Amino acid sequence: MQHIYEGQAWVFGDHVNTDQILPGRFLDRPMDEVGRYALVGLDASFPERVAPGDFVVAGLNFGCGSSREAAVMALKQAGVAAVIARSFARIFFRNAINNGFPAVIIAETSAIRPSDRLRLDLGTRVVTNLRTGEALSVQNLTGTSQEILQRGGIVAYTLARIQQAR
Amino acid sequence: MTLTEKIIARAAGRSHVAPDDEVWANVDLAAMHDSSGPRRIAPTLERLGGRLWDLSRIVLAIDHFTPAANLRHAEILTTTRDWARKTGLPHFFDSVGVLHNLLLEQGLAKPGTLIVGADSHTVTAGAIGALAIGVGATELATVLVTGQIWLRVPPTVLIRFEGAMPSHLTARDLAMVVLQRLRADFAIYRAVEFAGPAVEAFDLDERAVLANQAIEMGAKNGIVPASAAVLDLFSGDASGSRRPPASEPPLAGDAGCSYEATHMFTVSSIPPLVAAPPNVDHVMPAQQVAGLELDHAYIGSCVGGKARDLREAARILRGKRVKTPLRITPATQRVVEDTLHDGTLQVLIDAGAIVQAPGCGACAGLHSGLLGPKERCIATVTRNYSGRMGDSTAEIYLASPLTVAASAVTGRLTDPREFL
Repeated sequence: MQHIYEGQAWVFGDHVNTDQILPGRFLDRPMDEVGRYALVGLDASFPERVAPGDFVVAGLNFGCGSSREAAVMALKQAGVAAVIARSFARIFFRNAINNGFPAVIIAETSAIRPSDRLRLDLGTRVVTNLRTGEALSVQNLTGTSQEILQRGGIVAYTLARIQQAR
Repeated sequence: MTLTEKIIARAAGRSHVAPDDEVWANVDLAAMHDSSGPRRIAPTLERLGGRLWDLSRIVLAIDHFTPAANLRHAEILTTTRDWARKTGLPHFFDSVGVLHNLLLEQGLAKPGTLIVGADSHTVTAGAIGALAIGVGATELATVLVTGQIWLRVPPTVLIRFEGAMPSHLTARDLAMVVLQRLRADFAIYRAVEFAGPAVEAFDLDERAVLANQAIEMGAKNGIVPASAAVLDLFSGDASGSRRPPASEPPLAGDAGCSYEATHMFTVSSIPPLVAAPPNVDHVMPAQQVAGLELDHAYIGSCVGGKARDLREAARILRGKRVKTPLRITPATQRVVEDTLHDGTLQVLIDAGAIVQAPGCGACAGLHSGLLGPKERCIATVTRNYSGRMGDSTAEIYLASPLTVAASAVTGRLTDPREFL
Protein backbone atom coordinates (compact mmCIF):
# COMPACT_ATOMS: atom_id res chain seq x y z
CA MET A 1 0.00 0.00 0.00
CA GLN A 2 1.25 3.45 -0.96
CA HIS A 3 2.49 5.58 1.95
CA ILE A 4 3.09 9.06 0.54
CA TYR A 5 0.60 11.02 -1.50
CA GLU A 6 0.96 14.53 -2.89
CA GLY A 7 -1.76 16.52 -4.55
CA GLN A 8 -3.99 19.52 -4.62
CA ALA A 9 -6.71 20.23 -2.07
CA TRP A 10 -10.40 20.50 -2.95
CA VAL A 11 -11.97 22.14 0.06
CA PHE A 12 -15.53 21.54 1.22
CA GLY A 13 -17.40 22.34 4.44
CA ASP A 14 -19.03 20.40 7.27
CA HIS A 15 -21.64 17.62 6.89
CA VAL A 16 -20.91 16.70 3.28
CA ASN A 17 -23.42 13.88 2.79
CA THR A 18 -23.36 10.86 0.54
CA ASP A 19 -26.30 12.21 -1.47
CA GLN A 20 -23.95 15.04 -2.46
CA ILE A 21 -21.00 12.73 -3.09
CA LEU A 22 -23.13 10.43 -5.24
CA PRO A 23 -26.73 11.60 -5.75
CA GLY A 24 -29.44 8.94 -5.53
CA ARG A 25 -30.31 9.29 -9.21
CA PHE A 26 -27.01 7.59 -10.07
CA LEU A 27 -27.51 4.68 -7.66
CA ASP A 28 -28.85 2.50 -10.43
CA ARG A 29 -25.56 2.73 -12.38
CA PRO A 30 -22.94 -0.03 -12.46
CA MET A 31 -20.24 0.43 -9.83
CA ASP A 32 -17.45 0.92 -12.39
CA GLU A 33 -18.93 4.13 -13.77
CA VAL A 34 -19.82 6.08 -10.64
CA GLY A 35 -16.56 8.09 -10.80
CA ARG A 36 -18.19 10.28 -13.46
CA TYR A 37 -20.62 11.59 -10.85
CA ALA A 38 -18.29 12.15 -7.90
CA LEU A 39 -19.39 15.08 -5.76
CA VAL A 40 -21.69 16.45 -8.46
CA GLY A 41 -24.23 17.19 -5.72
CA LEU A 42 -21.88 19.95 -4.57
CA ASP A 43 -19.86 20.82 -7.65
CA ALA A 44 -21.03 19.63 -11.06
CA SER A 45 -17.58 20.21 -12.59
CA PHE A 46 -15.64 18.24 -9.98
CA PRO A 47 -15.28 14.98 -11.94
CA GLU A 48 -13.84 16.84 -14.93
CA ARG A 49 -11.52 19.14 -13.01
CA VAL A 50 -10.12 16.86 -10.32
CA ALA A 51 -6.65 15.47 -11.10
CA PRO A 52 -5.41 12.03 -10.09
CA GLY A 53 -3.82 12.24 -6.65
CA ASP A 54 -5.82 15.26 -5.47
CA PHE A 55 -7.31 15.39 -1.97
CA VAL A 56 -10.80 16.15 -0.79
CA VAL A 57 -10.58 18.26 2.37
CA ALA A 58 -13.58 18.85 4.60
CA GLY A 59 -14.71 19.75 8.10
CA LEU A 60 -16.93 17.72 10.40
CA ASN A 61 -19.02 14.62 9.71
CA PHE A 62 -17.86 13.96 6.14
CA GLY A 63 -19.89 11.27 4.39
CA CYS A 64 -22.97 11.40 6.59
CA GLY A 65 -26.25 9.88 5.47
CA SER A 66 -26.77 6.87 3.26
CA SER A 67 -24.42 3.89 3.55
CA ARG A 68 -23.94 3.77 -0.23
CA GLU A 69 -20.47 2.42 -0.87
CA ALA A 70 -20.68 3.99 -4.32
CA ALA A 71 -19.87 7.31 -2.61
CA VAL A 72 -16.39 6.02 -1.75
CA MET A 73 -15.99 4.34 -5.13
CA ALA A 74 -16.98 7.56 -6.92
CA LEU A 75 -14.22 9.54 -5.19
CA LYS A 76 -11.71 6.76 -5.73
CA GLN A 77 -12.54 6.34 -9.40
CA ALA A 78 -12.42 10.11 -9.94
CA GLY A 79 -8.77 9.90 -8.86
CA VAL A 80 -9.04 11.32 -5.35
CA ALA A 81 -6.11 9.98 -3.27
CA ALA A 82 -7.69 10.45 0.15
CA VAL A 83 -10.26 12.43 2.08
CA ILE A 84 -8.87 14.57 4.92
CA ALA A 85 -11.43 15.82 7.42
CA ARG A 86 -12.01 16.73 11.06
CA SER A 87 -14.42 13.83 11.48
CA PHE A 88 -16.17 11.19 9.39
CA ALA A 89 -19.56 9.57 9.57
CA ARG A 90 -18.61 6.07 10.63
CA ILE A 91 -20.18 4.10 7.77
CA PHE A 92 -18.36 6.26 5.22
CA PHE A 93 -15.15 5.78 7.17
CA ARG A 94 -15.53 2.01 7.19
CA ASN A 95 -16.47 1.94 3.51
CA ALA A 96 -13.33 3.94 2.74
CA ILE A 97 -10.99 1.70 4.71
CA ASN A 98 -12.74 -1.39 3.38
CA ASN A 99 -11.86 -0.27 -0.13
CA GLY A 100 -8.28 0.69 0.65
CA PHE A 101 -9.10 4.39 0.46
CA PRO A 102 -7.55 6.55 3.21
CA ALA A 103 -10.04 8.61 5.27
CA VAL A 104 -7.77 10.71 7.42
CA ILE A 105 -8.68 12.73 10.49
CA ILE A 106 -6.64 15.78 11.47
CA ALA A 107 -7.47 18.27 14.22
CA GLU A 108 -8.04 21.31 12.04
CA THR A 109 -8.66 21.74 8.32
CA SER A 110 -9.73 25.40 8.22
CA ALA A 111 -6.25 26.68 7.32
CA ILE A 112 -6.22 24.61 4.15
CA ARG A 113 -7.24 26.66 1.13
CA PRO A 114 -8.52 25.46 -2.22
CA SER A 115 -5.62 24.43 -4.48
CA ASP A 116 -3.08 24.21 -1.64
CA ARG A 117 -0.65 21.38 -2.29
CA LEU A 118 -0.72 18.78 0.46
CA ARG A 119 1.41 15.80 1.33
CA LEU A 120 -0.07 12.87 3.20
CA ASP A 121 2.49 10.50 4.70
CA LEU A 122 0.80 7.44 6.14
CA GLY A 123 4.17 6.11 7.35
CA THR A 124 4.98 9.07 9.59
CA ARG A 125 1.25 9.81 9.96
CA VAL A 126 1.54 13.48 9.02
CA VAL A 127 -0.40 15.79 6.70
CA THR A 128 1.74 18.70 5.50
CA ASN A 129 0.46 21.81 3.78
CA LEU A 130 3.24 22.50 1.26
CA ARG A 131 2.15 26.14 0.89
CA THR A 132 2.38 27.02 4.59
CA GLY A 133 4.63 24.27 5.85
CA GLU A 134 2.10 23.48 8.55
CA ALA A 135 2.19 19.82 9.58
CA LEU A 136 -0.69 18.10 11.38
CA SER A 137 -0.68 14.60 12.76
CA VAL A 138 -3.09 11.91 11.66
CA GLN A 139 -5.42 11.12 14.55
CA ASN A 140 -7.11 7.96 13.36
CA LEU A 141 -6.11 4.85 11.40
CA THR A 142 -4.94 2.74 14.29
CA GLY A 143 -5.75 -0.83 15.29
CA THR A 144 -7.94 -2.92 13.01
CA SER A 145 -8.75 -0.06 10.62
CA GLN A 146 -5.03 0.46 10.00
CA GLU A 147 -4.50 -3.25 9.36
CA ILE A 148 -7.40 -3.33 6.88
CA LEU A 149 -6.11 -0.25 5.07
CA GLN A 150 -2.61 -1.69 4.90
CA ARG A 151 -3.99 -4.84 3.31
CA GLY A 152 -5.69 -2.68 0.70
CA GLY A 153 -9.21 -3.35 1.92
CA ILE A 154 -11.48 -5.71 3.79
CA VAL A 155 -11.68 -8.36 1.08
CA ALA A 156 -7.93 -9.02 1.10
CA TYR A 157 -7.98 -8.72 4.88
CA THR A 158 -10.81 -11.24 5.22
CA LEU A 159 -9.13 -13.67 2.81
CA ALA A 160 -6.05 -13.53 5.04
CA ARG A 161 -8.21 -14.19 8.11
CA ILE A 162 -9.89 -17.14 6.43
CA GLN A 163 -6.44 -18.54 5.44
CA GLN A 164 -5.22 -18.12 9.00
CA ALA A 165 -8.21 -19.98 10.43
CA ARG A 166 -7.47 -23.01 8.24
CA MET B 1 -21.90 -2.25 31.18
CA THR B 2 -24.54 -0.40 29.15
CA LEU B 3 -26.97 -2.46 27.08
CA THR B 4 -24.94 -1.85 23.91
CA GLU B 5 -21.75 -2.96 25.69
CA LYS B 6 -23.46 -6.08 27.03
CA ILE B 7 -24.70 -7.06 23.58
CA ILE B 8 -21.21 -6.63 22.13
CA ALA B 9 -19.68 -8.62 25.00
CA ARG B 10 -22.11 -11.49 24.39
CA ALA B 11 -21.50 -11.40 20.64
CA ALA B 12 -17.74 -11.37 21.20
CA GLY B 13 -17.88 -14.18 23.77
CA ARG B 14 -16.39 -11.99 26.48
CA SER B 15 -17.49 -11.35 30.02
CA HIS B 16 -16.69 -7.67 29.77
CA VAL B 17 -15.96 -4.96 27.21
CA ALA B 18 -15.30 -1.23 27.60
CA PRO B 19 -15.48 1.74 25.19
CA ASP B 20 -12.69 1.76 22.57
CA ASP B 21 -12.03 -2.00 22.89
CA GLU B 22 -11.84 -3.61 19.47
CA VAL B 23 -13.48 -7.02 19.24
CA TRP B 24 -14.57 -9.60 16.69
CA ALA B 25 -18.25 -10.24 17.20
CA ASN B 26 -20.55 -13.04 16.01
CA VAL B 27 -23.45 -11.63 14.05
CA ASP B 28 -26.96 -12.93 14.80
CA LEU B 29 -28.62 -11.53 11.68
CA ALA B 30 -27.35 -9.96 8.45
CA ALA B 31 -29.63 -7.84 6.27
CA MET B 32 -29.48 -6.25 2.83
CA HIS B 33 -31.74 -4.93 0.08
CA ASP B 34 -31.88 -4.69 -3.68
CA SER B 35 -29.62 -1.63 -3.79
CA SER B 36 -26.89 -2.84 -1.41
CA GLY B 37 -27.42 -6.56 -1.94
CA PRO B 38 -26.73 -9.12 -4.67
CA ARG B 39 -25.82 -6.69 -7.47
CA ARG B 40 -23.13 -5.10 -5.31
CA ILE B 41 -21.92 -8.05 -3.23
CA ALA B 42 -21.86 -10.84 -5.82
CA PRO B 43 -18.31 -10.11 -7.07
CA THR B 44 -17.00 -9.83 -3.49
CA LEU B 45 -18.69 -13.08 -2.45
CA GLU B 46 -17.01 -14.79 -5.36
CA ARG B 47 -13.58 -13.50 -4.32
CA LEU B 48 -14.26 -14.78 -0.81
CA GLY B 49 -15.08 -18.28 -2.00
CA GLY B 50 -18.83 -17.88 -2.35
CA ARG B 51 -19.92 -19.95 0.64
CA LEU B 52 -22.57 -18.27 2.79
CA TRP B 53 -22.17 -18.67 6.53
CA ASP B 54 -25.78 -19.33 7.51
CA LEU B 55 -28.72 -18.92 5.13
CA SER B 56 -31.20 -18.79 8.01
CA ARG B 57 -29.53 -15.65 9.36
CA ILE B 58 -29.56 -13.67 6.12
CA VAL B 59 -32.45 -11.39 5.15
CA LEU B 60 -32.92 -9.83 1.72
CA ALA B 61 -35.69 -7.39 0.82
CA ILE B 62 -36.50 -5.70 -2.46
CA ASP B 63 -37.53 -2.22 -1.33
CA HIS B 64 -35.49 0.52 -3.07
CA PHE B 65 -36.03 0.04 -6.82
CA THR B 66 -39.57 -1.31 -6.58
CA PRO B 67 -41.89 -0.72 -8.32
CA ALA B 68 -39.28 -0.45 -11.09
CA ALA B 69 -39.48 2.96 -12.72
CA ASN B 70 -37.33 2.03 -15.71
CA LEU B 71 -35.49 -0.89 -17.23
CA ARG B 72 -32.31 -0.26 -15.22
CA HIS B 73 -34.35 -0.70 -12.07
CA ALA B 74 -36.09 -3.76 -13.48
CA GLU B 75 -32.70 -5.36 -14.19
CA ILE B 76 -31.53 -4.71 -10.63
CA LEU B 77 -34.66 -6.47 -9.38
CA THR B 78 -34.10 -9.44 -11.69
CA THR B 79 -30.52 -9.76 -10.46
CA THR B 80 -31.79 -9.68 -6.89
CA ARG B 81 -34.52 -12.28 -7.47
CA ASP B 82 -32.16 -14.58 -9.38
CA TRP B 83 -29.67 -14.50 -6.51
CA ALA B 84 -32.36 -15.21 -3.91
CA ARG B 85 -33.63 -18.14 -5.99
CA LYS B 86 -30.15 -19.52 -6.61
CA THR B 87 -29.16 -19.40 -2.94
CA GLY B 88 -32.56 -20.62 -1.72
CA LEU B 89 -32.70 -17.82 0.83
CA PRO B 90 -35.56 -18.47 3.26
CA HIS B 91 -35.96 -14.82 4.31
CA PHE B 92 -36.52 -13.10 0.98
CA PHE B 93 -39.11 -10.33 0.76
CA ASP B 94 -40.02 -9.20 -2.74
CA SER B 95 -41.58 -5.75 -2.86
CA VAL B 96 -43.67 -6.13 0.30
CA GLY B 97 -41.99 -3.42 2.33
CA VAL B 98 -38.86 -1.74 3.62
CA LEU B 99 -36.19 -4.09 4.96
CA HIS B 100 -35.88 -2.29 8.31
CA ASN B 101 -39.60 -2.41 9.04
CA LEU B 102 -39.86 -6.04 7.89
CA LEU B 103 -37.15 -7.08 10.37
CA LEU B 104 -39.32 -5.72 13.16
CA GLU B 105 -42.78 -6.80 12.00
CA GLN B 106 -41.70 -10.31 10.95
CA GLY B 107 -40.01 -10.91 14.29
CA LEU B 108 -36.60 -11.42 12.69
CA ALA B 109 -34.95 -8.76 14.86
CA LYS B 110 -34.72 -10.01 18.43
CA PRO B 111 -33.89 -8.14 21.64
CA GLY B 112 -30.30 -8.36 22.81
CA THR B 113 -28.92 -9.61 19.50
CA LEU B 114 -26.38 -8.19 17.03
CA ILE B 115 -27.79 -7.22 13.65
CA VAL B 116 -25.67 -5.93 10.79
CA GLY B 117 -27.24 -4.51 7.66
CA ALA B 118 -26.05 -2.91 4.44
CA ASP B 119 -28.00 0.29 4.89
CA SER B 120 -27.60 3.27 7.19
CA HIS B 121 -31.12 2.89 8.57
CA THR B 122 -30.38 -0.64 9.80
CA VAL B 123 -30.24 1.12 13.17
CA THR B 124 -34.07 1.05 13.14
CA ALA B 125 -34.02 -2.46 14.66
CA GLY B 126 -32.60 -0.90 17.83
CA ALA B 127 -36.30 -0.23 18.51
CA ILE B 128 -36.59 -3.73 19.90
CA GLY B 129 -33.50 -3.55 22.10
CA ALA B 130 -31.17 -5.07 19.52
CA LEU B 131 -27.75 -3.71 18.59
CA ALA B 132 -28.32 -2.90 14.92
CA ILE B 133 -25.49 -1.45 12.89
CA GLY B 134 -25.29 -0.19 9.31
CA VAL B 135 -22.32 -1.05 7.09
CA GLY B 136 -21.47 -0.88 3.39
CA ALA B 137 -22.08 -3.67 0.90
CA THR B 138 -18.53 -5.04 0.78
CA GLU B 139 -18.30 -5.30 4.55
CA LEU B 140 -21.67 -7.05 4.60
CA ALA B 141 -20.34 -9.55 2.05
CA THR B 142 -17.51 -10.43 4.47
CA VAL B 143 -20.11 -10.95 7.21
CA LEU B 144 -22.16 -13.21 4.92
CA VAL B 145 -19.12 -15.46 4.53
CA THR B 146 -17.57 -15.33 8.02
CA GLY B 147 -20.55 -14.54 10.26
CA GLN B 148 -18.30 -12.05 12.02
CA ILE B 149 -17.59 -8.33 12.13
CA TRP B 150 -14.98 -6.26 13.92
CA LEU B 151 -16.39 -3.58 16.19
CA ARG B 152 -14.92 -0.82 18.24
CA VAL B 153 -16.99 -0.63 21.40
CA PRO B 154 -18.71 2.78 21.36
CA PRO B 155 -19.24 4.91 24.45
CA THR B 156 -22.98 5.19 25.17
CA VAL B 157 -24.84 8.50 25.36
CA LEU B 158 -28.14 8.38 27.25
CA ILE B 159 -31.06 10.51 26.06
CA ARG B 160 -33.93 10.73 28.55
CA PHE B 161 -37.38 12.07 27.76
CA GLU B 162 -39.18 13.11 30.92
CA GLY B 163 -42.94 13.49 31.28
CA ALA B 164 -45.90 12.23 29.29
CA MET B 165 -46.43 12.96 25.59
CA PRO B 166 -48.91 15.74 24.75
CA SER B 167 -51.34 14.76 21.97
CA HIS B 168 -49.80 17.18 19.44
CA LEU B 169 -46.37 15.59 19.70
CA THR B 170 -44.96 12.43 18.13
CA ALA B 171 -41.75 10.45 18.45
CA ARG B 172 -40.48 12.27 15.36
CA ASP B 173 -40.66 15.60 17.21
CA LEU B 174 -38.55 14.05 19.98
CA ALA B 175 -35.92 12.88 17.50
CA MET B 176 -35.86 16.39 16.01
CA VAL B 177 -35.48 18.13 19.36
CA VAL B 178 -32.39 16.01 20.00
CA LEU B 179 -30.95 17.00 16.63
CA GLN B 180 -31.80 20.63 17.33
CA ARG B 181 -30.01 20.72 20.66
CA LEU B 182 -27.11 18.32 20.07
CA ARG B 183 -26.68 18.58 16.25
CA ALA B 184 -26.14 16.02 13.53
CA ASP B 185 -22.71 14.80 14.57
CA PHE B 186 -22.87 14.62 18.35
CA ALA B 187 -23.04 10.85 18.38
CA ILE B 188 -20.34 9.92 15.84
CA TYR B 189 -18.76 6.58 16.88
CA ARG B 190 -21.20 6.46 19.81
CA ALA B 191 -24.20 4.41 20.88
CA VAL B 192 -27.33 6.39 21.73
CA GLU B 193 -29.72 4.84 24.24
CA PHE B 194 -33.23 6.28 24.61
CA ALA B 195 -35.06 6.10 27.92
CA GLY B 196 -37.37 7.95 30.30
CA PRO B 197 -41.10 7.78 31.04
CA ALA B 198 -42.18 9.08 27.62
CA VAL B 199 -40.13 6.39 25.86
CA GLU B 200 -41.21 3.59 28.19
CA ALA B 201 -44.80 4.25 27.14
CA PHE B 202 -43.92 4.12 23.42
CA ASP B 203 -45.11 1.32 21.17
CA LEU B 204 -42.76 -0.39 18.74
CA ASP B 205 -43.54 2.03 15.88
CA GLU B 206 -42.58 5.01 18.05
CA ARG B 207 -39.44 3.30 19.33
CA ALA B 208 -38.51 2.67 15.70
CA VAL B 209 -38.52 6.43 15.04
CA LEU B 210 -35.98 7.13 17.78
CA ALA B 211 -33.72 4.22 16.83
CA ASN B 212 -33.95 5.11 13.13
CA GLN B 213 -33.02 8.74 13.66
CA ALA B 214 -29.92 7.79 15.68
CA ILE B 215 -28.08 7.55 12.35
CA GLU B 216 -28.94 11.20 11.65
CA MET B 217 -27.28 11.98 14.99
CA GLY B 218 -24.16 10.28 13.67
CA ALA B 219 -24.51 7.26 15.94
CA LYS B 220 -23.20 3.75 15.39
CA ASN B 221 -26.50 2.52 16.83
CA GLY B 222 -29.63 3.72 18.54
CA ILE B 223 -31.18 1.46 21.12
CA VAL B 224 -34.38 1.44 23.14
CA PRO B 225 -34.36 -1.20 25.91
CA ALA B 226 -37.39 -3.43 25.43
CA SER B 227 -40.32 -2.72 27.74
CA ALA B 228 -42.52 -5.51 29.13
CA ALA B 229 -45.06 -4.69 26.39
CA VAL B 230 -42.41 -5.05 23.69
CA LEU B 231 -41.20 -8.34 25.17
CA ASP B 232 -44.81 -9.55 25.15
CA LEU B 233 -44.69 -9.26 21.36
CA PHE B 234 -42.25 -12.14 21.57
CA SER B 235 -43.70 -14.41 24.22
CA GLY B 236 -47.21 -14.04 22.82
CA ASP B 237 -46.29 -15.40 19.42
CA ALA B 238 -47.46 -19.01 19.21
CA SER B 239 -45.09 -19.81 16.35
CA GLY B 240 -42.18 -18.91 18.59
CA SER B 241 -40.51 -17.11 15.70
CA ARG B 242 -40.22 -13.94 17.72
CA ARG B 243 -38.69 -15.62 20.74
CA PRO B 244 -35.15 -14.46 21.51
CA PRO B 245 -32.44 -17.07 21.00
CA ALA B 246 -31.61 -19.43 23.85
CA SER B 247 -28.29 -17.94 24.98
CA GLU B 248 -29.85 -15.24 27.14
CA PRO B 249 -29.33 -12.06 25.18
CA PRO B 250 -29.16 -9.01 27.44
CA LEU B 251 -32.29 -6.87 27.70
CA ALA B 252 -31.04 -3.89 29.72
CA GLY B 253 -27.84 -2.27 30.93
CA ASP B 254 -26.45 -2.96 34.38
CA ALA B 255 -27.80 -0.83 37.23
CA GLY B 256 -25.48 2.14 37.66
CA CYS B 257 -23.70 1.54 34.34
CA SER B 258 -21.57 4.33 33.03
CA TYR B 259 -22.72 6.65 30.25
CA GLU B 260 -20.41 9.06 28.49
CA ALA B 261 -23.10 11.73 28.82
CA THR B 262 -26.76 12.03 29.76
CA HIS B 263 -29.11 14.54 28.13
CA MET B 264 -32.59 15.23 29.50
CA PHE B 265 -35.55 16.60 27.59
CA THR B 266 -38.93 17.54 29.07
CA VAL B 267 -41.51 16.57 26.48
CA SER B 268 -44.27 18.90 27.70
CA SER B 269 -42.21 21.92 26.66
CA ILE B 270 -41.54 20.75 23.08
CA PRO B 271 -43.65 22.29 20.29
CA PRO B 272 -44.28 20.53 16.95
CA LEU B 273 -41.01 20.84 15.04
CA VAL B 274 -39.76 20.79 11.46
CA ALA B 275 -36.28 20.27 10.03
CA ALA B 276 -35.81 22.84 7.29
CA PRO B 277 -33.50 22.14 4.35
CA PRO B 278 -30.75 21.31 3.80
CA ASN B 279 -29.79 19.45 6.98
CA VAL B 280 -31.51 17.15 9.45
CA ASP B 281 -30.42 19.31 12.39
CA HIS B 282 -31.78 22.56 10.94
CA VAL B 283 -34.68 22.20 13.35
CA MET B 284 -37.20 24.87 14.38
CA PRO B 285 -40.78 25.11 15.66
CA ALA B 286 -43.36 24.53 12.90
CA GLN B 287 -44.88 27.81 14.08
CA GLN B 288 -41.74 29.68 13.03
CA VAL B 289 -42.12 28.75 9.36
CA ALA B 290 -45.92 28.45 9.35
CA GLY B 291 -47.50 29.76 6.16
CA LEU B 292 -44.82 28.59 3.74
CA GLU B 293 -46.53 27.46 0.55
CA LEU B 294 -46.19 23.80 -0.35
CA ASP B 295 -46.21 21.87 -3.61
CA HIS B 296 -46.25 18.36 -2.12
CA ALA B 297 -46.94 16.53 1.11
CA TYR B 298 -45.54 13.06 1.61
CA ILE B 299 -45.92 10.36 4.23
CA GLY B 300 -43.64 7.36 3.90
CA SER B 301 -40.25 5.69 4.48
CA CYS B 302 -38.84 3.45 7.20
CA VAL B 303 -39.16 6.24 9.76
CA GLY B 304 -42.45 7.79 8.66
CA GLY B 305 -44.54 5.20 6.78
CA LYS B 306 -45.54 2.88 9.63
CA ALA B 307 -49.11 2.09 10.71
CA ARG B 308 -48.82 4.54 13.58
CA ASP B 309 -47.76 7.32 11.19
CA LEU B 310 -50.78 6.73 8.98
CA ARG B 311 -53.05 6.68 12.04
CA GLU B 312 -51.56 9.97 13.30
CA ALA B 313 -52.22 11.53 9.89
CA ALA B 314 -55.79 10.22 9.97
CA ARG B 315 -56.40 11.98 13.30
CA ILE B 316 -55.99 15.26 11.44
CA LEU B 317 -57.46 14.27 8.07
CA ARG B 318 -60.74 12.75 9.28
CA GLY B 319 -63.55 14.61 7.53
CA LYS B 320 -61.20 17.05 5.77
CA ARG B 321 -59.80 17.44 2.23
CA VAL B 322 -56.18 18.08 1.36
CA LYS B 323 -55.26 21.20 -0.60
CA THR B 324 -51.69 20.11 -1.28
CA PRO B 325 -51.39 16.73 -3.04
CA LEU B 326 -50.60 14.15 -0.35
CA ARG B 327 -48.85 10.94 -1.36
CA ILE B 328 -48.55 8.05 1.06
CA THR B 329 -46.06 5.20 0.74
CA PRO B 330 -46.83 2.65 3.47
CA ALA B 331 -43.62 1.11 4.80
CA THR B 332 -44.86 -2.45 4.33
CA GLN B 333 -47.77 -4.40 2.92
CA ARG B 334 -48.78 -5.28 6.47
CA VAL B 335 -49.14 -1.56 7.18
CA VAL B 336 -51.56 -1.47 4.24
CA GLU B 337 -53.50 -4.45 5.62
CA ASP B 338 -53.61 -3.15 9.19
CA THR B 339 -54.68 0.35 8.23
CA LEU B 340 -57.21 -1.03 5.77
CA HIS B 341 -58.84 -3.18 8.43
CA ASP B 342 -58.99 -0.48 11.09
CA GLY B 343 -60.47 2.11 8.75
CA THR B 344 -57.45 4.41 8.64
CA LEU B 345 -56.93 4.06 4.90
CA GLN B 346 -60.57 4.97 4.29
CA VAL B 347 -60.09 8.22 6.21
CA LEU B 348 -56.90 9.06 4.32
CA ILE B 349 -58.36 8.27 0.90
CA ASP B 350 -61.57 10.17 1.67
CA ALA B 351 -59.35 13.15 2.47
CA GLY B 352 -57.82 12.92 -0.99
CA ALA B 353 -54.56 11.14 -0.18
CA ILE B 354 -52.99 8.99 -2.89
CA VAL B 355 -51.75 5.65 -1.55
CA GLN B 356 -48.79 4.10 -3.38
CA ALA B 357 -47.05 0.71 -3.36
CA PRO B 358 -45.14 -0.18 -0.17
CA GLY B 359 -41.36 0.25 -0.01
CA CYS B 360 -38.84 3.08 0.26
CA GLY B 361 -40.90 5.21 -2.12
CA ALA B 362 -39.62 8.69 -2.90
CA CYS B 363 -37.39 8.84 0.17
CA ALA B 364 -34.54 7.14 -1.66
CA GLY B 365 -34.86 9.62 -4.54
CA LEU B 366 -35.36 6.89 -7.13
CA HIS B 367 -39.06 7.02 -8.12
CA SER B 368 -42.63 7.40 -6.79
CA GLY B 369 -42.86 11.17 -6.80
CA LEU B 370 -39.54 12.93 -7.23
CA LEU B 371 -39.45 16.69 -6.70
CA GLY B 372 -38.84 19.11 -9.55
CA PRO B 373 -36.69 22.27 -9.50
CA LYS B 374 -37.56 24.58 -6.59
CA GLU B 375 -40.58 22.49 -5.54
CA ARG B 376 -41.27 22.44 -1.82
CA CYS B 377 -42.37 19.31 0.01
CA ILE B 378 -43.24 18.57 3.60
CA ALA B 379 -42.50 14.96 4.41
CA THR B 380 -42.07 12.34 7.11
CA VAL B 381 -39.05 10.86 5.26
CA THR B 382 -35.60 10.26 6.73
CA ARG B 383 -33.53 13.12 5.33
CA ASN B 384 -33.86 16.60 3.85
CA TYR B 385 -30.50 16.83 2.08
CA SER B 386 -30.42 18.77 -1.20
CA GLY B 387 -31.32 16.41 -4.00
CA ARG B 388 -32.41 13.62 -1.67
CA MET B 389 -35.89 13.35 -3.24
CA GLY B 390 -35.13 14.73 -6.68
CA ASP B 391 -33.83 18.05 -7.99
CA SER B 392 -31.08 19.63 -5.91
CA THR B 393 -33.01 22.91 -5.73
CA ALA B 394 -36.13 21.24 -4.30
CA GLU B 395 -36.80 21.87 -0.62
CA ILE B 396 -37.71 19.12 1.86
CA TYR B 397 -39.16 20.04 5.23
CA LEU B 398 -39.11 17.07 7.61
CA ALA B 399 -41.98 16.83 10.06
CA SER B 400 -44.21 14.49 12.04
CA PRO B 401 -47.21 12.87 10.30
CA LEU B 402 -49.45 15.25 12.28
CA THR B 403 -47.64 18.31 10.93
CA VAL B 404 -47.54 16.90 7.39
CA ALA B 405 -51.28 16.14 7.48
CA ALA B 406 -52.18 19.56 8.90
CA SER B 407 -50.04 21.24 6.25
CA ALA B 408 -51.60 19.19 3.46
CA VAL B 409 -55.05 20.39 4.58
CA THR B 410 -54.17 24.09 4.53
CA GLY B 411 -51.73 23.97 1.62
CA ARG B 412 -49.19 25.79 3.76
CA LEU B 413 -46.80 24.68 6.45
CA THR B 414 -49.01 24.43 9.53
CA ASP B 415 -48.65 23.76 13.25
CA PRO B 416 -50.89 20.72 13.85
CA ARG B 417 -52.18 22.18 17.12
CA GLU B 418 -54.57 24.21 14.94
CA PHE B 419 -56.44 20.95 14.32
CA LEU B 420 -56.09 19.20 17.66
